[in-house]
Amino acid sequence: MFERCNDKQRHLVKHQHHKPRHANVDSRFFGRKFTTSPSLERGLKASTIVGAAVFVIGLFIAPERAWPNALLAALYLLSISLAATAFLALLYVTNAGWASAIKRVPEALASTLPFGAFLMLLVLIGTPHLYEWSHSDVVAQDALLQRKTFWLNVPFFVLRSVIYLGLWVFFARKIVGNSQLVDRDGGDALREWKRKKTASAIFLVVFALTFTLASMDWIMSLQPHWYSTIFGIYNFAGMFLNGLAVITVLVILMKRWGPFEHILHGEHLHSLGKLIFAFSTFWMYIWFSQYLLIWYANIPEEVTYFVYREEGSWLVFTVVNVLFNWVIPFVALLPAWTKRHEGFLLRVCIIVMIGHWIDLFWMIMPPFMPNVPSVGIWELFPMLGVASAFIALTFRALARQNLVPLHDPFLSESLPLQT
Amino acid sequence: MSARYLIGVFGDEHDLLEATREARGQGYKIVDAYTPFAVHGLDEAMGLRPSKLPWVCFGLGLAGAVAKLWYQIWTSATSWPVNVGGKPLSSVPAFVPVTFEIMVLFAGVGTVLAFFIVSRLRPRKKKPDVLYEGVTNDRFVLVLEETDAAFDVERVRAMFQQHHLIHLEERVDSIPRSLDEEVQR
Repeated sequence: MFERCNDKQRHLVKHQHHKPRHANVDSRFFGRKFTTSPSLERGLKASTIVGAAVFVIGLFIAPERAWPNALLAALYLLSISLAATAFLALLYVTNAGWASAIKRVPEALASTLPFGAFLMLLVLIGTPHLYEWSHSDVVAQDALLQRKTFWLNVPFFVLRSVIYLGLWVFFARKIVGNSQLVDRDGGDALREWKRKKTASAIFLVVFALTFTLASMDWIMSLQPHWYSTIFGIYNFAGMFLNGLAVITVLVILMKRWGPFEHILHGEHLHSLGKLIFAFSTFWMYIWFSQYLLIWYANIPEEVTYFVYREEGSWLVFTVVNVLFNWVIPFVALLPAWTKRHEGFLLRVCIIVMIGHWIDLFWMIMPPFMPNVPSVGIWELFPMLGVASAFIALTFRALARQNLVPLHDPFLSESLPLQT
Repeated sequence: MSARYLIGVFGDEHDLLEATREARGQGYKIVDAYTPFAVHGLDEAMGLRPSKLPWVCFGLGLAGAVAKLWYQIWTSATSWPVNVGGKPLSSVPAFVPVTFEIMVLFAGVGTVLAFFIVSRLRPRKKKPDVLYEGVTNDRFVLVLEETDAAFDVERVRAMFQQHHLIHLEERVDSIPRSLDEEVQR
């Protein structure tokens, strides 16, 4: 099963005398650690507290806005960690060596998965505020919802949610867990690597199934009459695109702040940029596939979804969503040099990150604000609060170990990367 | 005009890359490099300018998309209007998949054809001589031109030997035709 990796290993051993390019890199740069400044930590803490306070006030003053927004924030952060886990799993199963030098960044994001899962569990408290199918009086009046009660009922819904989150946290630990140990002990990196490869292969299958169901449960059932069989992959496309953007932003920051200096070069950025370009186009492809079939068939239960989103100011969100997630990244990343240009790529990534928030807003909010979308204090402050907590946790995870995985079997392939 | 060429043979792409970099750094005129597979970074090491093929690809893709979109609008709304499901005659969403496919087809196939034309690979072309036995298997060849009388073969040999040179030979005018074309251009 692992012959390929052994071949690669042998290849690496065989060519050790060749002095790959990183032989010129001063080994001092490998051991650099990332440290957060106390003032940054204080700022993030303060912003978390303010966000949480606004959310709690919102629960009493405007619960119809606080709960959907809590769902949005939880999903956004959960999906970053999940995308990072899936990214790592893809690296393991495809024997990819190019990203070894930067893999501590997705690992840090993946290790923050329990935080997102915890937020999602909190959101489940708001089930009655979010999902109309959870009210028995509504269901009693609705023939379609009665047919769906075998799936859409509160106990089963909560049980499913807990299973999804549990599986994800479990696999994220399996995939990230011991990789720090390998560095600390200088143990058998290859054996550990194989173990992670097995876990990754299983995770990818589990993830595909659970993520599809989770996006149907948590987002699609907000409009329980509506259904779209492509919804799972649509959500996957958006979350993976956003995950890649976040990874790229952190990687660039780690270069600017020191630890990746002399390690990261244009080839790594080029590879990440290509992935962002590809997944942006994939997202658009799936977006349009969903739209085209619904537009073509013109069935009342289905078209309501887009009717909501094309009327009045919601149309602005629809257009901005497509602009930020596809048009801008596509045009901006079309030439090769923009993918290698640190500052340029950073800006595109930030646009994609805002775009994914808009995408989730666009999916979640219309049933709660059918006429006019509003983005105000109830939306922005809680989001900033949990995002600050997420950033603080991620930075702590980054600071915990060497940012360059010294004993990774493929490090010598990743450092002199050429594409 | 008679020209003299120096052919350096290496056993590994890393050696070839390093040798190419060094030869270029020292100002030797690199005619070309021949490898059994595409070596990443070789274009940079040889100092080649970025390829213009992406522009060909972009232009062809754009042309394909515009032409196909126009064609669909013309057939369904102008030339032979047919009412399909009460939708407007010129329903752009329905035209997008075909427009997209034709764009990909034009851009993909067109770029390959453009590459063939630029590289002068055409049917019935005389089979090129193999520069060095093994260059299609596991040998990596770098060809330098001996530009003037001051060209010192032994110095080049010493430079290449640092990069595990396998074989070095001089050729006078016995360069394959394909290479000749390269040089004349």
